[in-house]
Amino acid sequence: MSVKAATPARSGAKSKQPLREWKRFRFPQSLYRWGGVLLGLVFLSYSVVYLNIPLERFFNMFGRVGTLVTERYYPPEIDYITEPDYLASVVDTIQMSYLGALFGMIMAVPLGWFGAYNMSPSKRFVYPLARFVAMSARSVHETIWAILFVTILGFGMMAGVLALTMFCVGFAGKLFAEEIEAIEMGPVEAIRATGANEFMVMVYGVFPQVRVAFTGIGIYTWDVAFRAATVVGFFGAGGMGWYLKRNILQIETYRVSAILVSIVVLVLIAEGVSAWARARVAKAK
Amino acid sequence: MASAQATAEQVERIIAARSKAKLVRSLIYAVVLLLVAWSVNTTIIEDTDWARMGSVANVLESVAEFIGIDWGLFPHLLEPALETIMVATLGTLLGVVLCVPAIWFGALNITPFMPITYPFARLMMTLSRSIHEIVWALFFVAAVGLGALAGVLAIAVRSIGFIAKMTAEAIEDLDPKPVEAIRAVGGSEFQVFVYAILPQVLPVMVGVIIFEWEINIRRSSVLGLVGAGGLGLVFFRQLNTFNHPGVTTVIIAILILILFGELVSYFVRKAVI
Repeated sequence: MSVKAATPARSGAKSKQPLREWKRFRFPQSLYRWGGVLLGLVFLSYSVVYLNIPLERFFNMFGRVGTLVTERYYPPEIDYITEPDYLASVVDTIQMSYLGALFGMIMAVPLGWFGAYNMSPSKRFVYPLARFVAMSARSVHETIWAILFVTILGFGMMAGVLALTMFCVGFAGKLFAEEIEAIEMGPVEAIRATGANEFMVMVYGVFPQVRVAFTGIGIYTWDVAFRAATVVGFFGAGGMGWYLKRNILQIETYRVSAILVSIVVLVLIAEGVSAWARARVAKAK
Repeated sequence: MASAQATAEQVERIIAARSKAKLVRSLIYAVVLLLVAWSVNTTIIEDTDWARMGSVANVLESVAEFIGIDWGLFPHLLEPALETIMVATLGTLLGVVLCVPAIWFGALNITPFMPITYPFARLMMTLSRSIHEIVWALFFVAAVGLGALAGVLAIAVRSIGFIAKMTAEAIEDLDPKPVEAIRAVGGSEFQVFVYAILPQVLPVMVGVIIFEWEINIRRSSVLGLVGAGGLGLVFFRQLNTFNHPGVTTVIIAILILILFGELVSYFVRKAVI
């Protein structure tokens, strides 16, 4: 009885209120959201103006790029990239990336240890320091490392190897640290309970758990280092990049396109090898 | 007796397999070591101009030249830093626009005509990822002239590969049920895309784009080396005038810029996802 009496009263109260459409964001949130979008748009349009980007040139560009590619770059001079000089530089590039990745990984193992929050010997001092070192090694672009080492050590592949080492330290150090942070702490506690020191805990408790992942990361690091190695020579650090720079400066466009083709093919091969090796390693788990 | 013999045989077989595995492993180690020795010999020992480098003290001396900060340079770094961030942002956005066809063609379950469009999209992604941003920038400097536009285009083209690959993978393993549901209520292909595919892919895509933006700040900070403005140009100028503390200052500025980018991406990620 009471229910029946209440129902019309409630519906009457409801009909007085205007119907409101459902919205995902109510007033203050919606204001913040649209304000954010508007700010982003203003920033974008301001940056187009600030950078002096000629928009009309942007839309005319496509035809120009087309003629540039078909007329000036099109038949790549394949003979050039089969010359022994060039092939030797390809081998140099592979060796540089190999050594860079190897040295980088050797240095990245302690960095990953110190930079992993759960295993770091000192959470207050060593952990932030290791994180900072990894971040700065990664943030500075590999070409900047190459230029710095060329300035200090002179032209040659050693500068390239060191530049790639710095690049790989940052890259692998971060991934290693993340991998160590994801381990199970049971074995670590067991080893610690037997009275082992930090180093032994690392060797017997942590390392067996991350061995496979580290190998995979190492192979991937080599893959990335190879891609970087194709251009460090551009600034005098040895390898294929030097041939690229020379031919660009001499406006030998057919040779440039041949070199680019060779880079793409080599990167594809490197990617295939690294994918195959990583699959093998994952299976060996 | 027979079973004991069988066990002995088995044991022997296991021992033989183990020693074979050991042999293979030590062979692999030997090959790796030889490779390292060979590479060290050709790249470091033979290719270095030891006479130019001189002694360790000389090297340390030239390292010491880089220590120090050129405080007077800081006011001149603000504008290039802003330019670097702008180039990275515009490049990332243009890259997102350009990678739409690559995503559409490159996801196996929505690609319109498998035998042609799928390899085309894969080629696009590989080209974009395998050619370094410096080379792309040189190409676009030749096409559109010096200036920020070349940098924006280089970064956009370089971003296509990663964004398209991750997003296409996300589309490939999306849940087909919402798609069926929208189809069942009579939605058109476009409505299927907007209401069934996009909401599932958007979080992945936003995460990937923010990540790529962070990387692009790092990339755009060197594009000045080939004539596309930004911090790289200042870096090059300091180096060529032998103002070595200035070089260190520019590197510190790049570090600060990337820290800023990481902070921004952390907050944007929290706000959007």
